[in-house]
Amino acid sequence: MQSTLSLDLHSQMSAFPNAQITELEKRGLNIQTDIPVVDAVTITESVAVSFGDGAVRFFRPGLAYTTVEAHKGVILSMVADTGGVLTGGDDGRFLRITQDGATEEIYKFDSKWVDCVASSKNYSACSSGNSAYVWDELHLRPTRLEHPSTIGGLAFDAKGRRLAVAHYGGATIWEKHKNRWKSSRLVWNGSHNQITFSPDGKFIVTAMQENALHGWRVRDKANLAMSGYPAKIKSFDWVEGTPFLVTSGAHEAVCWPFDGKFGPMERKPVCVASNNNELVTCVTALPGDDALFAGFRDGSVLAAEVSDSKGVIPIRKATGSEITAMAVSACNTHIFIGDAKGNILWTRLVG
Amino acid sequence: MTEEAQVPVTVLTGFLGAGKTTLLNRILTEEHGRRFAVIVNEFGEEGIDNDLVVDADEEVFEMNNGCICCTVRGDLIRILGGLMKRADQLDAIIVETTGLADPAPVAQTFFVDQDVADKTKLDAIVTVADAVHLSDQLGEHHEAEEQIAFADVVLLNKTDLVEASETNEVENRIKKINPFAKIIKTTHCSAPLHEVLGLDAFSLDRILEVEPDFLDSDHDHEHDDDVTSVSFTSETPLDLDKFQNWFGELLRTQGQDILRSKGILNFTGVDERYVFQGVHMLMDASPMGLWPEGKSRSSRVVFIGRNLENMNLLEGFESCKAH
Repeated sequence: MQSTLSLDLHSQMSAFPNAQITELEKRGLNIQTDIPVVDAVTITESVAVSFGDGAVRFFRPGLAYTTVEAHKGVILSMVADTGGVLTGGDDGRFLRITQDGATEEIYKFDSKWVDCVASSKNYSACSSGNSAYVWDELHLRPTRLEHPSTIGGLAFDAKGRRLAVAHYGGATIWEKHKNRWKSSRLVWNGSHNQITFSPDGKFIVTAMQENALHGWRVRDKANLAMSGYPAKIKSFDWVEGTPFLVTSGAHEAVCWPFDGKFGPMERKPVCVASNNNELVTCVTALPGDDALFAGFRDGSVLAAEVSDSKGVIPIRKATGSEITAMAVSACNTHIFIGDAKGNILWTRLVG
Repeated sequence: MTEEAQVPVTVLTGFLGAGKTTLLNRILTEEHGRRFAVIVNEFGEEGIDNDLVVDADEEVFEMNNGCICCTVRGDLIRILGGLMKRADQLDAIIVETTGLADPAPVAQTFFVDQDVADKTKLDAIVTVADAVHLSDQLGEHHEAEEQIAFADVVLLNKTDLVEASETNEVENRIKKINPFAKIIKTTHCSAPLHEVLGLDAFSLDRILEVEPDFLDSDHDHEHDDDVTSVSFTSETPLDLDKFQNWFGELLRTQGQDILRSKGILNFTGVDERYVFQGVHMLMDASPMGLWPEGKSRSSRVVFIGRNLENMNLLEGFESCKAH
């Protein structure tokens, strides 16, 4: 699908993308909530946003946003699930929340945080401490999968069969064979946090405590080191096509190619969306296109195409607070942008 | 970008039974107007009376940043990151460590992780020591020495259970390990809380205000691996390049044994005071304003660590003098 975004917005480009209110801000909903925005995920035509006050807010085109009071403290993790989201909180609860406001407590841990959550068409999963817990459709009781240290990230592959778990010293891949979960260990020194499978399932990538990504080719566990970042990588996403893994943590959006047998091995990343030497803190892909949105530490947001290293489109001017979450609704009609101080923008992408 | 207020973090160390939880509960009840988060280990001695108590696992991770290797508390990075996303602002955070914990990974976490350093600041390391048992513990456990060596404040607790002469002996032992620490003698941890909280002991400008008890560097040892301290002063200005070469090499090669270092330096051709502090191989340094009028511009450095006598520290420091 070719988006009309580029044509529509290039005409509005200004000389000082950080300083002036953009067309998207003028026509959008701008709110100062004063509540830190933690994460945002796409739920078909709407976007679900988790906040530091424990609430999930749903933003829908043409409607007022709705609030679901979900957790007692911070929502630490959130992932899209059929018709809603799964969330984990520092109140030890693992919840399923649907757009109509219905909240189901899947599990309650005594005093431990629910750090990570993941969802696939077959399973729901969360982590607390060193253990991951996996629920399938039939069983009310979860299967507990143990790891050598606290879990930093959880992700299912696109088919929803394998679960990747990031922890200290590497990652573990779990797959169910004849009713038993079997593990395979991927080793690399250091502490590994967020984790993702490449869309074709052939690679696994983690964001590390160090300023680096680490990857493995699943077939032979070959290592991919992706380093040289000036800051910790807090955000990544897959740009369709090649595909590219776009990452934060540098003064541009750094995009690693994952085509062919070797992925980014021995190759240089593509860097786009440079902005007055500001650090990129959050990235999100424009589905169906080779374009992405880069959110910066000063609160500004630019759009750029991976194939065009020069052109950028200003989406939001600087607010002084780092971008913590962005999500684009289905068919690319709307974008949600939120920052650490709770300034949010919900606006139409196409005119 | 505007600078945001950093939430102060106080670290409570001390052996099991010394009185950490007593102090913690005193802070929480007497400072009830303020909002605290308390991070405890799961082997806590007694109940803690606070809304926001987080269980930690004390996971010590190795980090490799270029040529410097160090250890950090992985669980602390995760927990502080989560707390900083809360909508309700915290006034302070207190981290209670297990009795046998080495404070270095906790302190290093605040140097190494950028998010932790941006949003929180290490206020002080407060060590609760048991006047009855500290002498034995210092002989038997490395960790006891480290907890004293890293302390900004030592609460010498349970002084009602020992003779005054014995208390003085323990106090001297503490001073020998760490001449910087403020020692407060207490029973039931009854120290004034303003001497425990809000100290900002790790900020460079505070180093200017704390006058260490300068000691002779040739005091006697009981064991070779005892933690001791040495300090030097110089009225002759130092040469910036010479100092950087010597000190950089020293931390690189001996950083494992140097637990803490601090200093105020007078360089030739530099009008401002240069202040530094280090934790093992990591250090933080900055010019901190002009020298006060009418006061002598003398350089002072203090090292706390093991095997200091084998590092030729005095010779190294003397060789940095500008001629």
